[in-house]
Amino acid sequence: MSQEYASAPAGAHAGTQATATGTAHDGAAHTGASVVSFESVTKNYGNLRAVDGLSLNLWPGETVALLGPNGAGKSTSLDMLLALRKPTGGRIRMFGSDPYHAIKSGRVGAMLQSGGLMPEVTVRELVTLVAGLHPRPIPVETTLKRAGIAGFADQRVDRLSGGQTQRVRFALAIAGDSELIVLDEPTTAMDVETRRLFWANMKVEVAEGRTLLFATHYLEEADQAADRILVINRGRLLADGTPAEIKARAGAKRLSFRLDPVDEPFLLGLPGLVNLEVRHDLVQIQSTDSDATLYALLDAGYRPREIEVGSLGLEQAFLAITAEDDRANGDAHTGEAV
Amino acid sequence: MQGTLLLTKAEIIRLRRNRRFLIFTIALPVVLYLIFAKQKATAYGVSFEAFYMVGMASFGAFSGAFNNNTIRISQERKDGWIRQLRLTPLPANAYVVAKIISSMVTTVPSIVIVLLLGRFYAGVHLEAWKWVAIGVTIWLGTLIFAALAVAVGYTFNPDSVQPVALVIYFFFVIFGGLWFPLSGGLKKFGEFTPTYQVVRISTDVVGSGAVSVAAVVGIAVWLVIFLSLATVAVRATAETV
Repeated sequence: MSQEYASAPAGAHAGTQATATGTAHDGAAHTGASVVSFESVTKNYGNLRAVDGLSLNLWPGETVALLGPNGAGKSTSLDMLLALRKPTGGRIRMFGSDPYHAIKSGRVGAMLQSGGLMPEVTVRELVTLVAGLHPRPIPVETTLKRAGIAGFADQRVDRLSGGQTQRVRFALAIAGDSELIVLDEPTTAMDVETRRLFWANMKVEVAEGRTLLFATHYLEEADQAADRILVINRGRLLADGTPAEIKARAGAKRLSFRLDPVDEPFLLGLPGLVNLEVRHDLVQIQSTDSDATLYALLDAGYRPREIEVGSLGLEQAFLAITAEDDRANGDAHTGEAV
Repeated sequence: MQGTLLLTKAEIIRLRRNRRFLIFTIALPVVLYLIFAKQKATAYGVSFEAFYMVGMASFGAFSGAFNNNTIRISQERKDGWIRQLRLTPLPANAYVVAKIISSMVTTVPSIVIVLLLGRFYAGVHLEAWKWVAIGVTIWLGTLIFAALAVAVGYTFNPDSVQPVALVIYFFFVIFGGLWFPLSGGLKKFGEFTPTYQVVRISTDVVGSGAVSVAAVVGIAVWLVIFLSLATVAVRATAETV
């Protein structure tokens, strides 16, 4: 498999995108070998660039969320990681070798959105089959319990509901004793209670020392389950850090006040400002340093009214990061006042 | 290899539960044989009972290897079962190999049952080696049709695979003379089909024992063609399955 390096040198990985928050994770804290590494990976579909110079590392024992809007390149990245698609450029390594080799030696358990099940067999027969393909199978009864599917283990696979099917897919991902588990949107089609149960079971898997990578668009899930979040948009890595760091990156604080008259050019120059919205005399600011922003405003002689300072949730942080990126790419949303 | 065998075992379990499969591979050839076998006629130089025995055994084997596999492979490609298998330690070709082996295993009963009917219902008497030779010939024919099924199943989507498979199926059944012996212009055309060649080799064995070289060469050529088509079709989907 000859994969050329993309134009960016490998040393410049994670590049300008992640330096704000991500450096801690690529630094000296990790002396061991990475479980997964992407080195300037690109993927083109015809003229469309789905993944654009993606560089990242996963370290043993981490639970990492891959977060991004639809079409951000999450599924394509996972497909390439799982050797289902070949990168157009760059290199992907898994346990120091090519991903195909790692999968065939049973070191990875994976669940895809697009993964199907064999019909006409029972759930137990299917789990038994997939466990049997694994060099280090987990006892079938254990897997059935962990995936929460023991209750319908003797039903035929083609007669299950969407949520049940999703849990069977998960069971196939954990049927062997893998070191890395990769899940693409694992809780889609699950109700709230099943989702809670799913993450409780997942914690057991992770506590046994496994590395977990999951793609999601549920921000709450990423916030609660992940040690680390990778935000991707347009096939590029925009942010890499703990949930707290991601929130900080986007402007951790929301600052709002009334000001009459509004001097927009001045406001845009305030320190720490990440995003500005103005509606009549109401000003809303996202800031990485709300104190500095506010002091600068007061020092300039302004006397804003109804000052409120609050924290930003991960969802707003995520929206701010991707909106910033979209603006940088020249198609600002009309609703935003920058 | 052990994984491939496990998958093959699961495929056989599925086929045994599939009523459609049982009807087409076993019930239909048996019923047709019971109704039409006893005729005062000859075909390809052997009694009609012997010809029809070979024809129906081939018909069951062909149906079992081709009909089911095309639709299943196409559907399982779309559903993502093949993708799911690619995430397991199974070797890359295991899915196709398991399909072919399971077809070859599950068509054995239909071949054996029809041959038994020929012997004990229609009174076809042959030397022992001839029974073995025609059984094995028809059984190896299964391999050709399974390879064709892989090519068709990997090429067409579930929406279009059914009519395509049906056309190919009836083409080879009718022009291969599985249901009735070919003669005249039809035979000149049908001689080139693999289904005809399987029947012809078998009836040659039943009759003089001198097998048509053209049919043996023909069948080898078909095997190469279908295996190549299957390989190309499987490779072409490597990025989309």
